[in-house]
Amino acid sequence: MLEAAAIPGQPLSDASPVTGELLPARVRGLTLEVGAKRLIDRVDLALTAGSVTLVLGPTGAGKSLLLRLLHGMIEPSEGEIIWGGAPLSEAVRRRQAMVFQRPILLRRSVAANVDFVLKLRGLFSEERRRALLQHVGLAERARQPARLLSGGEQQLLALARALALEPAVLFLDEPTASLDPASVLRIEEIVLAAHQRGTKVVFVTHDLAQAKRLAGDVIFIHRGRVLEHTPAERFFAEPGSPEARNYLAGRLVL
Amino acid sequence: MPGRFLPFLATLAFAVLAGAAGPVLAEDRSILLQSTTSTANSGLYEHILPLFEKKTGIKVDVVAVGTGQAIRNAMNGDGDVLLVHAKTAEETFVAEGFGVARHDVMYNDFIVVGPPADPAGIKATANTATALEKIAGAKAPFASRADNSGTHKKEMSLWKAAGIDPTSASGTWYRETGSGMGATLNAAVGMGAYALTDRGTWISFKNKGDHEIMVEGDLELFNQYGIILVSPDKHPKVKAREGQAFIDWILSAEGQRAIASYKLGGQQLFFPNAGSGNS
Repeated sequence: MLEAAAIPGQPLSDASPVTGELLPARVRGLTLEVGAKRLIDRVDLALTAGSVTLVLGPTGAGKSLLLRLLHGMIEPSEGEIIWGGAPLSEAVRRRQAMVFQRPILLRRSVAANVDFVLKLRGLFSEERRRALLQHVGLAERARQPARLLSGGEQQLLALARALALEPAVLFLDEPTASLDPASVLRIEEIVLAAHQRGTKVVFVTHDLAQAKRLAGDVIFIHRGRVLEHTPAERFFAEPGSPEARNYLAGRLVL
Repeated sequence: MPGRFLPFLATLAFAVLAGAAGPVLAEDRSILLQSTTSTANSGLYEHILPLFEKKTGIKVDVVAVGTGQAIRNAMNGDGDVLLVHAKTAEETFVAEGFGVARHDVMYNDFIVVGPPADPAGIKATANTATALEKIAGAKAPFASRADNSGTHKKEMSLWKAAGIDPTSASGTWYRETGSGMGATLNAAVGMGAYALTDRGTWISFKNKGDHEIMVEGDLELFNQYGIILVSPDKHPKVKAREGQAFIDWILSAEGQRAIASYKLGGQQLFFPNAGSGNS
């Protein structure tokens, strides 16, 4: 079983991630107020399995905040998030993983970084760690200090840690910003492989070319409001809102 | 004499040869496509099928019925290719051996139309479930086809996703017409009600009155089409080669471009998405 796991794109274990329990997810009236400012404004969303969801919008629109709210890292001021009929809870959070723009790595070896996460979940085995590192192409670097990896390699390690949890939902917050093109494509390949295995992918990016490569559907946020949630082909061909049209045309959206 | 005879012989020879070639050229290369009424009514087939025919010489005859009927027809072997928008049923069709394989082809979309007064305040709502909640909350009139069509099934799935059972309000704000799209839209316009319709029907509908598009573009309003070759193992008479040629064409860049190029009232109705990795 884990022999097959050494090949990228193959299931990492027999227990493939089941999104059926967490999805569809429903977000209702989600609001985040900090002081007098409404940073996320009455967001309603439906998240379904089977499609890579991209979250797009101008800087400061609330993309990262939305991800953090969905992952339960921040309490909303109002509203609710229901995953497969159950409210967001610790049990739901454990079925999710998140990759940030800058990975926070332990001051240990590459292998130890993966082991740490596996052990936390009682999933540790040498074979599992080897399969994960092989999947992201870091098997040769297993013993090297994680901090010495290049930016792209560090993100691959962060991805390996996220995938170690076999998440039903994988959130990615601009994981390839400021990486070299080869690393960008490698990371996209791995993310798409996770999608093929059934993990729901929710991906924030500023890179429109990347969005076009990956997107099944697009959530467009502006000033904390979701203005559109539409199939990717339609969003890029005929966005519904003037703000999205301006954004796609590269104009400043205020 | 010989000068006039030879041209006559030549003409005769040509006529004989042409006659002999006639039956060979008139060989029947056609397939039967089982599809849905709404797809056929949109005019898409008139636009794309001639392109395929010109390229391959294969004529595509379309049988346009309700989705359920199209699938049943294909199960009975009455058809070579199935093109409908009912993914679960399509997957079952293949799983049970009636079809060879299912492929995503394209999607189109539904819209919610309504009176300009917009009593439920749903205009430009990005999320359909929210809009339906507002309609139910305001007890605003809503006209439903209630005829078990694909559109009606889509409507019911949207209410369900919103956690609402509108049939409990049947006869009050929720009006079940039991009829087709045109008749239901007529009823909606007549009584200032909201309604769910496919975009193609709305564009060509001639009795819009002051009704406008209230909700559009939400992911949940999109309608995925799949294409399947009827299995020659189950039904040996299926024209598998020609059928597959049609499927290959419609999934190819050329076929996908043909779909995208079809416009009604200046609007693209169908969005090609073959190979999107979702099937």
